[in-house]
Amino acid sequence: MGAIKSWVSRARGIAVPTVMMNERRDSALHRRPRVRESLIEAFLLLCGVLSILTTLGIVYELGHESLRFFTSEQWEATNKELAADVDAATQTILVTNTGSELHPGDNLRVGSEELMVLTVVGDTVTVERGVQGTAPSAHVSGASLERSERVTLGEFLGTTEWNPQIGKFGIWALVNATLMTSLIALLVALPVGLAVAIYLSEYATPRARQVLKPVLEVLAGVPTVVYGYFALTLMTPLLRWIFGADTVKIYNTASAGLVIGILIIPLVSSMSEDALTAVPRSLREAAYALGATKLETAVKVVLPAALSGIAAAFILAASRAIGETMIVAIAAGAGAAFTFNPFEPAETMTGHIVRISGGDLSYDSMDYNSLFAIGLVLFLMTLGLNIISQRIVRRFREAYE
Amino acid sequence: MSTRRFILVAITALLAIVLSACGQAAPAATPTTAQPTVALPTATAPTVPTEAQSPTEEAGATSGIETDPLKVTGDIVTAGSSTVYPLAERIAERFQDEGYSGTITIDSIGSGAGFERFCVTGETDVANASRAIKSSELESCRAIGREPIELRVGTDALAVVVSKENDFITSATTEELAAIFSDAAVKWSDVNPAWPDEAILRFIPGTDSGTFDYFVEHVFAKDKTPHLNAANTQLSEDDNVLVQGVMGSKYAVGYFGYAYYLENADRLNVLAIDGVTPSEATVADNTYPLSRPLYLYTDAGILAAKPQVASYLDFFLAHVNEEIQAVGYFPAPDEVLTEARATLAEAVR
Repeated sequence: MGAIKSWVSRARGIAVPTVMMNERRDSALHRRPRVRESLIEAFLLLCGVLSILTTLGIVYELGHESLRFFTSEQWEATNKELAADVDAATQTILVTNTGSELHPGDNLRVGSEELMVLTVVGDTVTVERGVQGTAPSAHVSGASLERSERVTLGEFLGTTEWNPQIGKFGIWALVNATLMTSLIALLVALPVGLAVAIYLSEYATPRARQVLKPVLEVLAGVPTVVYGYFALTLMTPLLRWIFGADTVKIYNTASAGLVIGILIIPLVSSMSEDALTAVPRSLREAAYALGATKLETAVKVVLPAALSGIAAAFILAASRAIGETMIVAIAAGAGAAFTFNPFEPAETMTGHIVRISGGDLSYDSMDYNSLFAIGLVLFLMTLGLNIISQRIVRRFREAYE
Repeated sequence: MSTRRFILVAITALLAIVLSACGQAAPAATPTTAQPTVALPTATAPTVPTEAQSPTEEAGATSGIETDPLKVTGDIVTAGSSTVYPLAERIAERFQDEGYSGTITIDSIGSGAGFERFCVTGETDVANASRAIKSSELESCRAIGREPIELRVGTDALAVVVSKENDFITSATTEELAAIFSDAAVKWSDVNPAWPDEAILRFIPGTDSGTFDYFVEHVFAKDKTPHLNAANTQLSEDDNVLVQGVMGSKYAVGYFGYAYYLENADRLNVLAIDGVTPSEATVADNTYPLSRPLYLYTDAGILAAKPQVASYLDFFLAHVNEEIQAVGYFPAPDEVLTEARATLAEAVR
């Protein structure tokens, strides 16, 4: 209450309307230490520093954990056991016929000893004993075999199958799905969003604006989980009705992409509209004076003048589409697949992270570390887009006045 | 003075607007987000009046086991199967709600690891298991002076399901099942030439689930590679995603806990495996191949040294059938439970 009182008393009797002027005049009149002001300044600075530190923390964590993904050796259970006792010298071991197949070149671990598989004939395996600097020792029947899984950057970036549980780490399966949904979303959102923006800034009567803008804002405020079920229960059946239920699978990237498009329309339209309204009135009047129609003015004069702002809006919309999670987790599919068919299910990077982290993940397992590698790729993609958008804004900005 | 009043009024008005906006926004958002959530099996939790249990509790009281949770103290350590875990957790919670004052530990580490801790290191009082004890484990138990007492608490079963529209498959052998869910087949006709020349759309539980593990263990001899490698496979920990998926196409197939099939029986067809259709009867007598009994193991020495373990197990057996369906498993026949309680009472004596 005291604070309000002092604020009120200061505000009273000052004719200058803006706070800025108010402060300047105030300080000029009485040069006294202003504790409250410096506290506020410190608080604002703290907020800024906090967000920078958070970003740095995220980058560190992502980098640190994804480094483990590429460097640390993982031991996966093969569910095979020794079928007979093995002494320290023998090269031939007998294994049970359960579990996953062994292949020449596999690096195995029994107890603390590491073995390299040379040949596999049925359940009989010849191995090189005591590799990787471990000492050969005797093992009893029933000891379990583990296999080493190691990921190389080449495999990560060079293959297209993603299935960490069976040692397949081709990130393109996930990246491709992300690009598909995002592209479909942008195909919807950019034209529609831009059209809405042009209408709002150039054509709409104040009353139409009054109705349309809040509606668009509501669209932006709907929780994405609702959009997800909207995609699954309305968009997908609609697509299946149009293209046939055998062509369109129940989970598919087209449906998720279209709904992400709807989700980002308000983002595109409101940012583009800001850019369009910022174009000075004199430009429009000059165009009208030259005899241009309303459409010509909007498309040939105002739009190019606002291009940098619109391009930035497009790119931010793209990074929003890439990062969108809930819709793809619900509607796009739940198994990584490398496909260019938008009616087939596929799993995006974000969708995969959500699904895998939903189960019981043990720390430092292959699945766990792979999530950070995916996260890093995702982070780099959106970071890249944001940098490009800043460049565009700087490069193509048309400064008037 | 009028300026001050004006500003105060303005602030009050602003606050009123902001607060009312918040008030409106919150309830408007809640129902929409709550709408799509899956119907939880808890909705079918049987509510049995506690009075109905008093005769059995009295029966237990005569055997020297303390049946009033209020009078039970001391800690209990259990570990084992992740399949038994949700059931054990539920019963333990109820045991504590009804007055048990100690701490009960339930570690979900898998049946094998559970036996390891029960029989080799001997650090747990109860081993939870979704399979019977192996002879090698029995030997190690005996080596540390423990003679396992087996208590059957229920049965878990998997249902292999197809869409109601599916008109070509009503049953499969275990071999066909392995082919349907493995990378050996892409189309239905690859498994059986009589089936259509269409891609098999597979919907399977996520790799962290016990259901997936059991299926791999039972159908694929513990090798998950062909199963995960199969084309057109969608995985989810959320059974509803699987139900939606299987319903979505005539050529889809999936599997999950039988209890979840029952909830969706009007929307899905269940396959008979090796000629046996899953039902309460075929699951109870173990003729349905994709079912497995759930057990608790303990030892007479532990029961004597820690009476709270006997009380917990007796409570478990007395109330398991009220909770088990909510968890999604099949109740064990009443005779089996009565017998288990008798075995327990015998061991305490």
